[in-house]
Amino acid sequence: MGALLYTKDLRKNFGGLLAVNNANVSIEDRELRSIIGPNGAGKTTFINLITGRYPASGGNIFFQGRDITNQPIHALVRLGICRTFQITSIFLGLSVFENVRMARQSCLGGSLRIFSSKARLKEVNETTWALLEKIGLQEKADQPAKNLAHGDQRLLEVGLALAGDPKILILDEPTAGMSPTETNQIADLVRQLNRDLNLPVVLIEHDMEMVMAISDRITVFHQGSMIAEGSPKEIQENKFVKEAYLGETDG
Amino acid sequence: MKSGTTSRSLIPPQRKFFGLTAGLILVALLAVFPFVVSNRFYIRLLNEMFIYGLLAMSLDVLLGFTGLLSFMHTSYLGIAAYIAGLVLKHGPQKSLWLALLVGVLATQVIAVPVGWVQVRTGGLPFALLTLAFGMMYFTVVWKWYGVTGGDDGLMGIPQPDLSLFGWVLGNSGNPVLTYLFTLFIVVICFLVTYRIIRSPFGAVLESIRENEERAAFIGINVRRYKLLGWTLACLLASVAGVLFILYKGYIGPTTMDPFAGAAVLMMVLLGGMGSLWGAFIGAGLFIFMQDYISTMTEHWEIFVGLIVVLLVIFLPRGFAGLVDRLRNGEKG
Repeated sequence: MGALLYTKDLRKNFGGLLAVNNANVSIEDRELRSIIGPNGAGKTTFINLITGRYPASGGNIFFQGRDITNQPIHALVRLGICRTFQITSIFLGLSVFENVRMARQSCLGGSLRIFSSKARLKEVNETTWALLEKIGLQEKADQPAKNLAHGDQRLLEVGLALAGDPKILILDEPTAGMSPTETNQIADLVRQLNRDLNLPVVLIEHDMEMVMAISDRITVFHQGSMIAEGSPKEIQENKFVKEAYLGETDG
Repeated sequence: MKSGTTSRSLIPPQRKFFGLTAGLILVALLAVFPFVVSNRFYIRLLNEMFIYGLLAMSLDVLLGFTGLLSFMHTSYLGIAAYIAGLVLKHGPQKSLWLALLVGVLATQVIAVPVGWVQVRTGGLPFALLTLAFGMMYFTVVWKWYGVTGGDDGLMGIPQPDLSLFGWVLGNSGNPVLTYLFTLFIVVICFLVTYRIIRSPFGAVLESIRENEERAAFIGINVRRYKLLGWTLACLLASVAGVLFILYKGYIGPTTMDPFAGAAVLMMVLLGGMGSLWGAFIGAGLFIFMQDYISTMTEHWEIFVGLIVVLLVIFLPRGFAGLVDRLRNGEKG
């Protein structure tokens, strides 16, 4: 019961397709968990379930001991379940500053003030600058988000997730489409958030080098089911994983 | 005055100053207009532009700031006009403020539940629902002869006295007085709306326009804020409706038909979405074209339609977009 977030027989089907089949995944506080698996294994569906993007077809999700199954998205974010998407999802028409400021405002409150100026929310503005510094975008604060390079947009999205004061951070392929340098930058940031701030992270990632280097534990999905779980070392040596995912067979 | 690091507004101060000055001059000119030009026709034409400008601005709150398309926003002008007209006609006294209060609040009694249904959707389904509800309203006012006067419209509405803070200004039968009163209310509505749009609440609406899913994923209760944005838009539209009955002394079902709904949408597009003031320019242009061309041909809709098509193609961001472009051109 010590787990921060766990699922009990969590299931999702789209029509006849069983995308997630009775998943029992348990994520401890402070851990950096990677979820890997071939395309179509159900990784993204799984995190879409635990972040409330899709309703579950069956089973339950527990966070900090309470059942959060099928809660609305914004309520889950308020609880501290914050995420990024495989396809970057930011406010393209707003400036970088306004993107993060908006997320901070949503987190700290004040959204119902209809007659005051938004520039007056002092704490919101100050913590926005602090966060922009943390993700290294303070120099680009005034730029419209749509003008940013792909890597910076991905970074901004991580900033939006962090702006919700997450108790667990969920990253869906944060390095997708990034250069090796940018990938390292993200890996460093994720590690730093996890190690220095004790922030639990769930990471879907295809870059195996990165996964093996930074994960505490790894969960492997295959055809909707969880087929293995363990430390990077255990996963690398696991027979099923090799067969299903790495495409190797024991000689 | 402001500490440079914590309050970065996207509007540079000199532009703000320019806007304020231009706005003040314009309002001052409009306020003296009826004393310089005594032709009642032009006074009434401008009066109508103010009312439709307010309506177009209310649609801009929805379309340009919340990202929701309403095909039949005139419905809420019409409903408020009918209700205010009925209050003036059958109410205990010919009180302007009673008509305003009842007209605006009773419209919300209809608009809020309808909005509650509509915000369960977004995008095209939302727009189609506004059309469906708009057609229902239209049918009700058209067929409910006993109350609305059916296709004859609501006639015999008495002209109430205009008063401000208990101070009686005169009767609304006087077009100059009604003009000034309308201008006053519209300017107040504009200033309040402008303030709201720049508030933390306005920022939430903009984030929903930009990316609804991301808005939810930063913790915003999207449906709730869409409903609030919708309610704000309908409140403003209903104020326009009361001003309409005051100005015209009559309301008929054609004010609420799909053509009228499309006309307001065109006003917003002509003026440029997302600027608030652009909606007034759009309404002014549209009413001017409609009026000018209808003196030459009874098929004026065709020509207005053509002009709108050309303007939308060549000025896709409307008049406000053109001003932005010219200004940025000057700078760089």
